[in-house]
Amino acid sequence: MHVVMINGSPRIEKYSNTDKIISSFGKGLLERGASFERYAISERRSWDAIREAYIKNEEILIALPLFVECVPGLLLEFLETLPKKDDRTRLSFILQSGFAEGSQLRCGERFLEKLPEYLGVCYGGCLVKGDNFGIRLLDAAGQEKATKPYRAMGALFAEGDGFFRTEAKKFTGPEYFPLPLRVLMQMVFKTIAKKRFQQAAASWGCDTPLDAKAWE
Amino acid sequence: MNLILDTTQEHLGKRIVEELLRSGKRQTEFERIDTTTMQISHCIGCNHCWLKTPGICSIKDDYAPILKKMSGAGQVWFVSDTRFGFLSYQTKNIVDRVLPLATMNLKFKDGQMRHVMRYDHQPDFGIVFAGDGDRDYLNWWCQRMALNFGSRSLGVFHVEQMQEAIKCMWS
Repeated sequence: MHVVMINGSPRIEKYSNTDKIISSFGKGLLERGASFERYAISERRSWDAIREAYIKNEEILIALPLFVECVPGLLLEFLETLPKKDDRTRLSFILQSGFAEGSQLRCGERFLEKLPEYLGVCYGGCLVKGDNFGIRLLDAAGQEKATKPYRAMGALFAEGDGFFRTEAKKFTGPEYFPLPLRVLMQMVFKTIAKKRFQQAAASWGCDTPLDAKAWE
Repeated sequence: MNLILDTTQEHLGKRIVEELLRSGKRQTEFERIDTTTMQISHCIGCNHCWLKTPGICSIKDDYAPILKKMSGAGQVWFVSDTRFGFLSYQTKNIVDRVLPLATMNLKFKDGQMRHVMRYDHQPDFGIVFAGDGDRDYLNWWCQRMALNFGSRSLGVFHVEQMQEAIKCMWS
């Protein structure tokens, strides 16, 4: 199997959580004897090359972050440039987000389920996973650890069944958090998390409160 | 004040404005912005609006005045072409860049994580679309999007059902 992996994030690769996920997923593909080539739409000058790879190959995987309940605007723009193909081409997706619950990604997943039909190709499933916001903020070892589960999914994908196997469905984790956990997390959000976010902001040179009302 | 953001190639927002005036609304009650000639980039996901310059987008183009108007509006209507059954990328770019209205901070609401909103007032959102949009999907998406921004969906209407949309505009 040879997979064309397209990073559908508008964020430049260096800071892209999706990029780190693709790297780990790719290791899983290689473990099982598959090969891949990878691209990123954040660089507009590479769009011609991505389109060419999309046309020439039959196993396409787009990995993307959820942007306001669906695909990022830049990816929509790129998708408009793709020609129609036939169902010998299979289009699969990795949809990732910051919010942790699986239910947060279902609206975006629904769009991706229908997208292949518009492009004339067949659907290879969608791997759905949240809680990825902080990957870019981790050091290399932390990124490796956070994205390690995607390696197993790469190995699974190399077996040829897309993302339709039970293991891929279970990968999402809980659709909603149980109430006791939500209560606990709510306390964390109001205290530790708030402090951590402000610390992260300080490391970016920000000394303004994160809830500042910029226009008032 | 209600805001009509028109990204359509046929400038369909003009038709809505004509209908609004015909139905007795005053020009001061709404504003139509035709974004087709404006420079509005896509969101680049830098997170500066949350973590570096809270509430301020790092991209310097024609978007900032629109966002400020959106923030203060009672209703925001997206008038959009459609592709793949969904909004055009031009409209999605505008929506993606609403993030400065939210903060990095989190909370739970109705059982799901949400970002805490930056301002006390949130506009409600509606869609008028042209072309082969998937109305059921757009309805779901608009409801989810509004939930994320602490507001409510005003509904989704094909441009041929403009009268229905107009009824919702001052309901």
